[in-house]
Amino acid sequence: MWIEKFQIKKTNRVAALYPTTKLWIVFFYSVCSLLLSTVNIMGIPLLIIPWFLVLPILATLSGVISQFLKAMKKAAIIAIFIFLVQTFIIPGGDLLFHFGILYIYSDGLHTGVSLSVSILNIAGAFVWLFQTTEMKELSRALEDKGMNYKASYILLSTMQMIDLMGRNSKIIMNAQRARGVETQGNLFVRAKAFFPSMVPLILSAIISSDDRALALSSKGFEIKCKKTHILNVEYSGNETLAMVICIIITSIVAIGRVLLWILP
Amino acid sequence: MTEKKKHSIKDDFTLLALLIIPVAVAVNFVGGQLASLLKLPFYLDTIGTIFGAMLCGPWVGAVIGLVTNLVTGIANPVNFAFIPVNVACGLVTGYLSRRNMFSTWWRWLIAMILMAATSIITAAPIIVLVYGGVTGGGTSIVTATLMATGTNIWLSVMGSDGIFTVIDRIISFFISYFVIKVVPERTVIKFGCGENFIKKK
Repeated sequence: MWIEKFQIKKTNRVAALYPTTKLWIVFFYSVCSLLLSTVNIMGIPLLIIPWFLVLPILATLSGVISQFLKAMKKAAIIAIFIFLVQTFIIPGGDLLFHFGILYIYSDGLHTGVSLSVSILNIAGAFVWLFQTTEMKELSRALEDKGMNYKASYILLSTMQMIDLMGRNSKIIMNAQRARGVETQGNLFVRAKAFFPSMVPLILSAIISSDDRALALSSKGFEIKCKKTHILNVEYSGNETLAMVICIIITSIVAIGRVLLWILP
Repeated sequence: MTEKKKHSIKDDFTLLALLIIPVAVAVNFVGGQLASLLKLPFYLDTIGTIFGAMLCGPWVGAVIGLVTNLVTGIANPVNFAFIPVNVACGLVTGYLSRRNMFSTWWRWLIAMILMAATSIITAAPIIVLVYGGVTGGGTSIVTATLMATGTNIWLSVMGSDGIFTVIDRIISFFISYFVIKVVPERTVIKFGCGENFIKKK
């Protein structure tokens, strides 16, 4: 359910950072993990595995660790799937391990580890961002940084619309079922049920957005002037510190990577 | 209309087009949900992009694609990598609509082939290079089986993904087309490419 909250107050220090600062943290984190994935130890990019531990620590500090782990399950399943396929199916390089029909080659293990852990790393950074930041805060902060107010309206309105249309689709599907549309059976029957649920949903949405366009323009949405806001996002005061820490860590990683290149 | 109209990107984004973007994104989202609820083997998560692009032109379609993957990426970050696929789908569909390629059946065929080809061409490199061939979706098992038999990774991805993408695009296109046909003409005419879908009297 979409519940409208006007002011957002956070007590946690990490979670209360300014949304764009958190966006920078995600960026630096991804850069670091991409840099680390090019470092090989015994032919495998082992360094990104301990690097991944940074995220749970960050989530614990922000007080969202339980939601974080829950959200990471989906990404973890995909990562494990990719890892298994890469490790056992791609041949190439030296044979490392052989048991029955299972063969592990060095190339497969290398791409398997680097792909799956990199996906976990970058996905995890975004999961952390959106668990500590509401879309409303992010779009408001971006608007303050110069994003068009129409763009931030689209972002916010999208979140509401997904919620609304998700509910409407259930209602329409129940109604069509009551009228005798089969939703269970073989593939063809189920595919046929897709049309009568989808068409009324889109149709009503188009017609209602025509009405909404009228309502918005009558309230001066398109007038070029300074807009007022109900929600204000404030700096918590720790942004500079967070940015300095990020840049220091990133430069240590980058310098380390370059040194490994130069030194034999 | 004999004189050729000039299009600027800014003119595409009318207020109505701006309001269609959230609707289209939600349709993408709900379509995907409904497809998995009915246990259909397709994603069907580009219906919104296609009808938005058909009505409002390529640039609105591209924005719909971008926003869809940004928003669904919050729940499932794997989608971030597929932003180019959805954006390309919106662009191509929008251009086809602007060239009035949805008027007769043989034009539909060309349009659908182009739409499916765009998706396969943009999706295959991402699946192969970013995810190493498998994304954990429904077609991944087919791909993995093909790869295990020794087929080239590009061929297995394009083969298994291709068939599903073509059917996916056909279903999405027909839903969008039916919807546009039943929307009252006084509403359709307000959209950028709307006049292509109205019977000339």
